[in-house]
Amino acid sequence: MAISTLLEITIDGFARGMLYALLGAGITLVFGLGSVLNLALGVFAVIAVIAGVVVLPTVAHPLLAALVGVAGVGVLSVVVDRTLLTSVYRSTGEERVTLGIFTTLGLEILLSGILYVYYPQTYAIPFDGNLINVAGIRIRSSSLFIIAVAGVLLLGLFLFLRRTYLGKATRTVFQDETGALLCGINPRKIRTLIFVLSAVLAAVAGILWSIQSTLSVSSAFEITIFGIIVSIVGGVRDIRGTVVAGILLGFVVTYANYYIGTYFSSVILFSVAVAVLIARPEEIS
Amino acid sequence: MSDTTAHDEYARGGASELKTVAVILTFLAVLPFAFDMTVTYLANLLVRLLVFASLALALNIVFGHTNQLFLFVGALAGMGAYSTALLSDTVGVSPWLFYPAAGIVAGFIGLLVSYVAARRRMTVIVIAILTLSIQMALSEIFVGARDLTGGSTGTSFSGLELPMVVEALGVSGRLVTYYLLFVFLSVVLVGYWWMRNSKYGLAFTAIRQDEIASEAAGINVIRYKVVAGVVAATIIGLVGPLYAQSEGYLLPTMFSFQSVDVIVLIMLVLGGMRTIVGPFLGAGVIIVINELLQDTGQWRTAVLGGLLIVLFVYFREGIVPKTRAAWDSDRVQSLRSRDSDTDSDPET
Repeated sequence: MAISTLLEITIDGFARGMLYALLGAGITLVFGLGSVLNLALGVFAVIAVIAGVVVLPTVAHPLLAALVGVAGVGVLSVVVDRTLLTSVYRSTGEERVTLGIFTTLGLEILLSGILYVYYPQTYAIPFDGNLINVAGIRIRSSSLFIIAVAGVLLLGLFLFLRRTYLGKATRTVFQDETGALLCGINPRKIRTLIFVLSAVLAAVAGILWSIQSTLSVSSAFEITIFGIIVSIVGGVRDIRGTVVAGILLGFVVTYANYYIGTYFSSVILFSVAVAVLIARPEEIS
Repeated sequence: MSDTTAHDEYARGGASELKTVAVILTFLAVLPFAFDMTVTYLANLLVRLLVFASLALALNIVFGHTNQLFLFVGALAGMGAYSTALLSDTVGVSPWLFYPAAGIVAGFIGLLVSYVAARRRMTVIVIAILTLSIQMALSEIFVGARDLTGGSTGTSFSGLELPMVVEALGVSGRLVTYYLLFVFLSVVLVGYWWMRNSKYGLAFTAIRQDEIASEAAGINVIRYKVVAGVVAATIIGLVGPLYAQSEGYLLPTMFSFQSVDVIVLIMLVLGGMRTIVGPFLGAGVIIVINELLQDTGQWRTAVLGGLLIVLFVYFREGIVPKTRAAWDSDRVQSLRSRDSDTDSDPET
């Protein structure tokens, strides 16, 4: 096969990997900080896309529509955090973990159920994509756009956690909740902030996803699962690991898609997750 | 998720539990007489009740009693159904000959998962993600291995019926499927009753309350967890082919996470974990609710999701323990008022 084709696939794989990294970061943040596995993450991604498509005729520009979609998900996530997650955080230890699984699963089903009634089709944010020819390699401009936007976001997230006071406070809660409390940090407020942040990451991921392929409500759960797999492969409590795992899995899935076929690439993805879980279960618990 | 219920059950003893088992089985045995079983729609509903009650009972054993959250009930049932169907198809014999294969295949998967999980000391969340990943992988295979499974359009399946019985009694095939499931469920339920009141029940309770302490007390934690996992997975695997027989079809969506695991979980939690009646009551209530929501059409999913949230936030103990608590307090009160002149109240 031509080396140019290989390079083209690699760039597409990198773009997909960045999307996975965004979703994985969305799972990692909330799980690492509050032991809540957010099974509703994918619905947030889909809602951002649908909201964007709905307001598109009014705001007249895809970029504005996308921003409205992301903002809408931000507002929704505040509501979810204030209501549903408050009751989850009231419990502790293993009970919080199970309660988190079931309430967010319920939320996922509830929101997808409602969306199904009103928006049963497939949706996408329009993107004026073209092929850029660089030395004989044809690159999709949408792939470059995804890499740029996701890269900036992930870098921003990283700088936030490392360099800002709020980010440091967040990492303190990650490591030791009681210790953070004693230092005068309010874990509940930090959790709200992080939950909204993770929902926004998922919303951006959904919109970026939709500029290359359409999304429907039924994709929501699949998107969540992608996020969870990336997160566990990367080691759940480490954003850097999540980003690396996302990019690697993006390559794996894209190459497998190209060489073996779609369904087999999914099976490979889930098998990687099973293998990692068996190899290092203590990292997740 | 409190442990007082399990404790109460021990105090009540196995005899009264056996009565409960007998009542449930008698009720299910006469249930078809209350309905016109020639109406396909009604017959299907009753069959589905037994299918899902069996699945909820299996999940009760593995999740309720040993805290291993199996989120691949659908995939296990699917593995069972596809094993029986594909083997009998390949060899060209009656599916009955390969029916045990359904239990063996699923039970073996349950054995592997439970053993690895117990050895690697996986917590409830790791087991949940692990089994969910397996569910997703198997679902992909059910859809993707088109040559074997017929892909998303599925294949028709039949043969798990007893034509002699249908002919001899002149009843519908669905009624026979119902009673096949009934016999299966009777065996499972009596087995479950025996398990609860044997050393297994005691060990399960001990492990759930404090794993390290029970290990120190000489309980082989890994063995008991694996036993629960294998028993539950085998039951689920054996339900698979009967479920396919009742639908007359093998479709990947029949065994998906959303259409099996979510429903079974809601049923178990609603009815009450670690109770005998719970899985049946939960299955009955959810199937009735599901039918009532049939008129609301697409809103059904949304309502089920909302129900799951409400259940887990406010109602985690389930119907059976809640009712029992209410009934107990009433009884205690009446006893108190009756005995107040003879006995002194222990609280005063």
